[in-house]
Amino acid sequence: MMTTKYPWFEAAVRKTTAVIGMELVDIEGFTCCPDPIYFQAYDKIDWYTIAARNIALAEAVGHDIITTCSGCTATLSEVNLTLKKDMELKDKVNKRLKKIGMKYNGTINVRHAVTVVRDDIGFDRVAETVTRPLNHLKVGVHYGCHLLKPSHVMNVDDPDHPTILDRFIEATGAKPIHHEKTLLCCGRACMTDSISSNMVVDILESIKANNADCMGLICPTCFDEFDTGQIILGRKLKRNFSVPVIYSFQLLGLAQGMTLEEVGLNMHKVKFDKILEAVPA
Amino acid sequence: MSVENIQKINFEFREKLNSVAEGFRHNFCYQCGACVGDCPANNYSGTFNPRIILLKALLGMEKDLISPDSEIWNCTNCYTCWERCPQDVRPIDVIIALKNLCQRLGQAPDIIHKISNSVMESGITTTVTSATVRRREQYNLPPVRDYAVDEIKKIIGSK
Repeated sequence: MMTTKYPWFEAAVRKTTAVIGMELVDIEGFTCCPDPIYFQAYDKIDWYTIAARNIALAEAVGHDIITTCSGCTATLSEVNLTLKKDMELKDKVNKRLKKIGMKYNGTINVRHAVTVVRDDIGFDRVAETVTRPLNHLKVGVHYGCHLLKPSHVMNVDDPDHPTILDRFIEATGAKPIHHEKTLLCCGRACMTDSISSNMVVDILESIKANNADCMGLICPTCFDEFDTGQIILGRKLKRNFSVPVIYSFQLLGLAQGMTLEEVGLNMHKVKFDKILEAVPA
Repeated sequence: MSVENIQKINFEFREKLNSVAEGFRHNFCYQCGACVGDCPANNYSGTFNPRIILLKALLGMEKDLISPDSEIWNCTNCYTCWERCPQDVRPIDVIIALKNLCQRLGQAPDIIHKISNSVMESGITTTVTSATVRRREQYNLPPVRDYAVDEIKKIIGSK
């Protein structure tokens, strides 16, 4: 999704991680992870197999996989952990991979980029790269489900009391705002629109009630639900929510002195410009 | 109530569920309800209830569970029930197994086929458009790569 629909998120990741000292290597031949909702619902064994193929490509070059999308993280982490433990399933998947001359071995780990930032780089180092601290910017935190749960699969943070995004936001100089619906699901996977719409409305209202300037998140699917979704919902309900939504690495890009355009904030449906007036140039 | 009216457990359906990846987990549910309290689909729909879905699986209520309009499709895939379940039933995994069964029996909603077909035909869930190509250039990103569709086709669908 990020590759095709939100390439500016990818640009923000590549630019900001280079500044903090992370070297990213592109691996040829990667496909869709595939997605943990629709494709997993289609056929779980096919889902394991395609994910195992992607993991095997990274194994061949001896690198961990660094993910920037929560859904990708969910698929690749669960498949990797399951295949490392379940030998019968691993054999079944490898029998399929053999047809294309590949093999899953279980030799690498899958890690979301924010965990690499926290555990390998450190938020102190991130803060040192900030040239334009986003002081006064209040960011309503939205964790999203797949970064955190199931916790022993994702291994990212305490799913009920997470701090990783708060600390990421703090490193940019901005103030993370926890609100009543910080941990609520965005509802995207639910097939009845009215159910997910009510979740989105509650989350946006919770952010507004806590006087946050914008919403900060880490998942492109959640982003879709809150940015484009907010406009569609606003038209339907004849309401103007006006809660700009920002992907964590865009926030870091701004703090590192990048322009609105460089991190693609001008592409968002809910405009961000006004908020930046509060941030020193 | 006469004995004839008592609903019998449909063990045939439960066997079908056992044959799907992770479907066997339904057997271990003891109906404690820990999965319900923090379930967002339950809190917001008033009808979706992971414990009831597991109960229906245990009773083998195929008609309620296997259809494109089944309550299972209202799951938000948030994984909270997996987190809360003391028995490692992973209610969401049973729901996904039920969805896989729907697909096998031609009872999955169109969106499942639409997105899965996209992965099988192009290697990704979303579509590469001229705007994608143009924007990737604009942000100095590597061009969209070859998504190895031929390889994907060879490794999926074999039972």
